[in-house]
Amino acid sequence: MEKVQRALARVGKVVLGKNEQIRLAVACLLARGHLLIEDLPGMGKTTLAHALARIFSLDYQRVQFTSDMLPADILGVSLFNADTREFVLRKGPVFTQLLLADEINRATPKTQSALLEAMEERQVTLDGDTYPLPLPFFVVATQNPVEQGGTFPLPESQLDRFLMRISLGYPSPEAELALLAAGDLRAEALDLTPALTVDELQQVMQAVEQVHASTDLLGYLQRLLEHSRSSGLFQAGLSPRAGLGMLRAARAWALLGGRNYVIPEDIQAVLVPVCEHRLQPVAGGAARGAAGRLLEAVPVVP
Amino acid sequence: MARVYQVPHHAFGWLVAGTFMAALPHLIHGPLWLRILLPATVLGRILIQRGRLPMPGRVLRVILLGGVLLGTLYTHGTVLGPDAGTCLLVAAFALKLLEMVRLRDAYVLLVLGYFVLATTFLFYQGPIASLYVLLSMLCLTAALPGINHPEAGARAWRHFRLALVMLLQAVPLMLLLFVLVPRISPLWSLEFSQERSRTGMSDSMAPGEVSHLSQSRELAFRVEFEGAVPPPAARYWRGLTYAWFDGRRWSQARPQEISQADYVWFPASPQPRPDWAATLVAARDEAAARGPVYRYRVVQEPSRRNWLYALAVPFADDTRLGLVRDLRLVSREELNQRRDYRVTSYPALRSSMPMSPADEAISLQLPEGFNPRAREMARRWYREAGSAEAYANRLLRWFREESFYYTLEPPLLGEHTVDEFLFGSRRGFCEHYASAFAFMMRAAGVPARIVAGYQGGELNPVGNHLRVHQYHAHAWTEIWLPGSGWVEVDPTAAVAPSRIEMGPEAALQDDPLADFQGIMRDLPWLQQLSNRFDYVQFIWQKWVLDYDESSQLSLLQRWLGDVSPARIGMALAAGAAVLLMPVALWVLLRRRGPGRTPMQREYRAMLKQLRGRGLVLSDDLPPRRLVREAGGQWPAARPVLKKWGRAFEESVYGGQAGTSLRALRRYRRQLRWLRGARGGQHVSPG
Repeated sequence: MEKVQRALARVGKVVLGKNEQIRLAVACLLARGHLLIEDLPGMGKTTLAHALARIFSLDYQRVQFTSDMLPADILGVSLFNADTREFVLRKGPVFTQLLLADEINRATPKTQSALLEAMEERQVTLDGDTYPLPLPFFVVATQNPVEQGGTFPLPESQLDRFLMRISLGYPSPEAELALLAAGDLRAEALDLTPALTVDELQQVMQAVEQVHASTDLLGYLQRLLEHSRSSGLFQAGLSPRAGLGMLRAARAWALLGGRNYVIPEDIQAVLVPVCEHRLQPVAGGAARGAAGRLLEAVPVVP
Repeated sequence: MARVYQVPHHAFGWLVAGTFMAALPHLIHGPLWLRILLPATVLGRILIQRGRLPMPGRVLRVILLGGVLLGTLYTHGTVLGPDAGTCLLVAAFALKLLEMVRLRDAYVLLVLGYFVLATTFLFYQGPIASLYVLLSMLCLTAALPGINHPEAGARAWRHFRLALVMLLQAVPLMLLLFVLVPRISPLWSLEFSQERSRTGMSDSMAPGEVSHLSQSRELAFRVEFEGAVPPPAARYWRGLTYAWFDGRRWSQARPQEISQADYVWFPASPQPRPDWAATLVAARDEAAARGPVYRYRVVQEPSRRNWLYALAVPFADDTRLGLVRDLRLVSREELNQRRDYRVTSYPALRSSMPMSPADEAISLQLPEGFNPRAREMARRWYREAGSAEAYANRLLRWFREESFYYTLEPPLLGEHTVDEFLFGSRRGFCEHYASAFAFMMRAAGVPARIVAGYQGGELNPVGNHLRVHQYHAHAWTEIWLPGSGWVEVDPTAAVAPSRIEMGPEAALQDDPLADFQGIMRDLPWLQQLSNRFDYVQFIWQKWVLDYDESSQLSLLQRWLGDVSPARIGMALAAGAAVLLMPVALWVLLRRRGPGRTPMQREYRAMLKQLRGRGLVLSDDLPPRRLVREAGGQWPAARPVLKKWGRAFEESVYGGQAGTSLRALRRYRRQLRWLRGARGGQHVSPG
């Protein structure tokens, strides 16, 4: 566990003043979830993804999504080798442990869905043959805010594939000063010393699953889900998958907090990143902060 | 989880207590060996439980069972019938306690226990007995949670409370069923042994043959008046008349001398009535104008006779009752159970009763050859007096002025009982005086008869009802005076007026019973207590024990109009619905929110307590943030709050059973005594 803490600290040195977001991103990975970072360009999304890949010594591929991209550009193609008279698979960038899908909402829905299917099934099917993806497999996607031009917003069903959606936001004045003083940190991110081997990362991910969640805690989680459905705040309530995701994320969060049991604070910490992109406020409701209202409405102890 | 088939250790206390209590009432009337057996088995069981004694082996158990069978046979001569059967049941019940090993045995013991409790009512039906049975039932029921939850803690008091709640919940339903479920007259009647038959009045009397009149404190009947209560001197409860005298023994008129025309059954109106009854009915209103009218309800203990007790001249509106020509009330059936009947008495109606030649003949009947001296004196005195009334007064004055004594232990009399009594012993009780007076009247040609019944009664001021005991039994005379009809004359009153005015206790100062009565009089609170208890018994009698087929029918008729099985069924269903509706509502409303666990209640209590101190805390605070927020607003409480928060978190979310609710409560109590919430601002505790 100290190694995980060390990893958090090291990432914090390259992504300045964003400890909360780093912690969430790490929790998301430990919970075997994919991460969506939504922000304006230049806020450090890519740096964060780089740092995460380095620190957990993961294979890393980056794909910049564009509007003329085809699924094969991600998944790979079967090519006919004239010498051996056989088809040979040329694997696409998806065959890696950590895939940074930059500006995912610039690609056409067809390409988006090819990636998202791979995310869900953790395997790729090409010309009738199925190829498993390496383990662990994470996708860190970044996206520009939907209001920007030239984008294809991700439909809700696909947003659901991401365990968390976070946004980094502008740095604080101190962090920005430090950033300006340090110059470009992206290179430093690529040079980070790994804190954990892949095997150690796998162990930590298994430990996450062992974190105890008591009946009372599950009751609280259930009441949150229930309230999202019955409150009338949202067009549709949270799905059971969202509930399971929230529990996994909370377990990871608890482990990061050095506990082997989940407390309501863990749920509250991960609720907004896990739920906000899954909830559509009813017309007229504010998009941001809706998930937060869920927390206010449901008592922790009935 | 695996079921444990042994009787759980913590169920034992209530099982043993329940068994003992259930069997205890049967020791009062049970044989000596049963009285020894029950405590012995209970003690044995406790010793076995403590490991001091081994479980009884097969041989010992067979011997014990054989002994119980033989004992029952020895005591009752049979093993059948209610007395012997109950005895056997109770003994077997006690033995079952001894051999209980498995859970199944405990269940058998419990069910048997409930049955044994039910048999208590064969012997005792009073309010105390019923309370006792309820209490025993509570103990038996308290054993149930222990048996059914082998894992439950050994909290004896908790089990008792659970049983209490269960029984209380059942009470409304019990009352509903008691009132509405059709009552069926018993299909068979149980024959109990002779000891339990009641003492009472016999249908004849022979004053010379009794040397000791034993007095029983047993209750004969109770009377509840609607309106005026007659003064003590008018409380002559007429039961029987003796018109036939054979020289020694007075008895009722011979059956052949009583014809159908001497009876009239109520209600008297539609049927053809004998002319004497018609005369009485016709004169009723006029008598009511002339004299008092007493309306009352008599609750009579079983007498195994068909005569009833009422003031003269009784009328009823009850088809089970009838009026006989000698102005007494009878029932169509013998009173084998307690019965109550409503009566209206018109004392002034006596004078309207016509005298028939047959009446006159039997009221003057005397056997030849007995009591020559008395006969001679009667004729002489009557001649001197000139009228029947003057003659009777002279005789009474003679009783009063000569040295006649009232005693319950008179000497035995020989052949001429009246002569020997009047001119010899001059000691006797009511029968002697009534007999002598009636003889003297008849000898002088004045129609006379003896009335047997009860005189007096103790007024219970609590319920305004009269208690008449067996020791109030009395005999007096009635003589026929032209123009006045049958007139009550009590010669005993001439001898011992206190007997009539103040009751038998006053006339018998040397009686041990009188001592007791004296103590009662000296301790007013005891008297008061006794009166109150008697009133409770009376109410119990009236509302519970007397609630039989006919009273149920009349009650249901009043409520439902037409009584049919369908209506009763509907009333039952409606009653049950009304009773169960609140329960159903409560359950439904409670189901809305998930039921709270003790820990959740603890959290709520803490929140409430902190808010009570003026802290502003929202509902959605998880424990840690609650502690932080509260600690911020109330720094003095921070250390305790932290301890509480940690204990709560570890217990509720950490899956650690170690932290007990008790520790949490202790922390919370500590907070209660801390001063100064809200940054030193003073808030008084509590």
